[in-house]
Amino acid sequence: MTTSFKVDLRRGMMVTGKWKQGRYRVERLLGEGANGKVYLVQRDRSWYAMKLGIDALDLQSEVNVLQSIAKQKQHGQESYLFDVDDLYGPDGREYPFYVMRYVLGSKTDDFLKRQGAEWFPLVGLNLLGKLAKLHQAGWVFGDLKVENVLVADYGHVELVDYGGVTAVGKSIRQFTEIYDRGYWNGGSRSADPQYDLFSFAVLCIQLHEPKRLQHLTVELLPQNRSVGELMQIVENSPALKPVAGWLQRAFAGQFADAGDASAAWRSLMHRRDTHRSSSTPFWLKGLAAASAVLLGISVYWLLRNLM
Amino acid sequence: MKQILLITDGCSNVGLSPVVAAAHAQSEGISVNVVGVLDHGDVGELGAAEIDEIARAGGGLSRMVNMRQLSQTVQMMTRKTVVQTIQLAVQKELKQVLGNASIEALPPEKRSDVVRVIDELGETSRLQVALLIDASASMKPKLAAVEDAIHDLMLSLQARQGKSEISVFHFPGSRHGDDCILDLDWTSHLNGVHAIFPKLQMGGTTPTGPAIMHIVDFYRKGDYGRQSRDETDGMMSDYVV
Repeated sequence: MTTSFKVDLRRGMMVTGKWKQGRYRVERLLGEGANGKVYLVQRDRSWYAMKLGIDALDLQSEVNVLQSIAKQKQHGQESYLFDVDDLYGPDGREYPFYVMRYVLGSKTDDFLKRQGAEWFPLVGLNLLGKLAKLHQAGWVFGDLKVENVLVADYGHVELVDYGGVTAVGKSIRQFTEIYDRGYWNGGSRSADPQYDLFSFAVLCIQLHEPKRLQHLTVELLPQNRSVGELMQIVENSPALKPVAGWLQRAFAGQFADAGDASAAWRSLMHRRDTHRSSSTPFWLKGLAAASAVLLGISVYWLLRNLM
Repeated sequence: MKQILLITDGCSNVGLSPVVAAAHAQSEGISVNVVGVLDHGDVGELGAAEIDEIARAGGGLSRMVNMRQLSQTVQMMTRKTVVQTIQLAVQKELKQVLGNASIEALPPEKRSDVVRVIDELGETSRLQVALLIDASASMKPKLAAVEDAIHDLMLSLQARQGKSEISVFHFPGSRHGDDCILDLDWTSHLNGVHAIFPKLQMGGTTPTGPAIMHIVDFYRKGDYGRQSRDETDGMMSDYVV
């Protein structure tokens, strides 16, 4: 923590793994996480994402999780982890890295802004599906937040940054305060499926009411942070109202796991009010009224002239 | 595993140098972490240098934060230091077995096994954190944030599988020349604890060094009573001396 992350790979640079001699060409920086930087790289004409860590142990611990998940996956599924190695940075020091499948997508909030909020229920369902798979294998994602969910075309969802992934029953390895159950006095920091579902519910609020959520974190004294305060935002938000019951259950830890939660979410999707057809804008109503009045006047004027 | 977490906002000004005291702690197997709390300006160059130096001598981490980041920082530091302590112990073992100085020098496959062990020990070994709070006049407006951070730390520690305890001290003591005062003895929960710090009389001096020594002594005395080893401590005591 005292050392800041200074290594910087530049575009066009070639890097070679120390142990397995994999050669990668650096394209650009994709993002920066709590414990490393992620670059877009190319090898044999294919694109990958390379996570470069500061601390070998920290990164290895993340790799271990990814490897165990990969082992549990059924055959035929594309492997997430591609390579694990060390490289010499421009400063001559060694840095650990791993290479994973590159997912072309955007952050959840950007996706919804660009493609429209009507994608929200589907994106939510797909995200719950991803979490369900992790939960089935005995893992909890931990650091679920807007930045760690990438959405690709047609609402496909991919989780990124596995630094927080924790085996069920252990203490959550990495979390972000506003998504944390403990922060809202809503329960422990032990890894259980309900922990992720709590974060998922906060994520829903963050997507629709980011300003009010931010406001709460500034206004409330720590001892006054509560699920009740979060639910108040939900109740006052037209976009969240339809899923209020679901969110309440997620906050209260009433779903057994993400599979259970996703079944409940799916049943909501087929209710009409969840997909709110964008109601007629105010100005359009005004315009319609104005034209009706104009029509009335012109008919009156016409009739009067005819008589 | 034993840790001291010092939360302060400036320079010590009486008694033994806190750097010497932190080195003492380290030689007793206690890691010293330091958080410097900024309010508006800065802790000053001198304060920052001292904070860094104390952590270095104490084998721990140091960080400057504002009050809003305090909780997150405290729990992260504690966690990181746990891993670091175990890492050092494992490193020592490795050196004997392989003649290999660092875990980083192992190929990734081997590293993976070592890290698995470290992660497991980090989660299950017994942990004690003594919080030492600078309660000199300039810290007064920050004590509410410090209390929140302590509650938050307890929450994180409770999620661990190993036994975890905290104790809380503040310094300077009252006029009788105490270096620091125990506010909360070893505990693994804060249920019902609303105010950790009673009405404090803010003193003028900042005896950081003597206060650290006081806690080293507190740990030492505590260990007499605990000679019968806890079952949770079993694995670590083989590693950490």
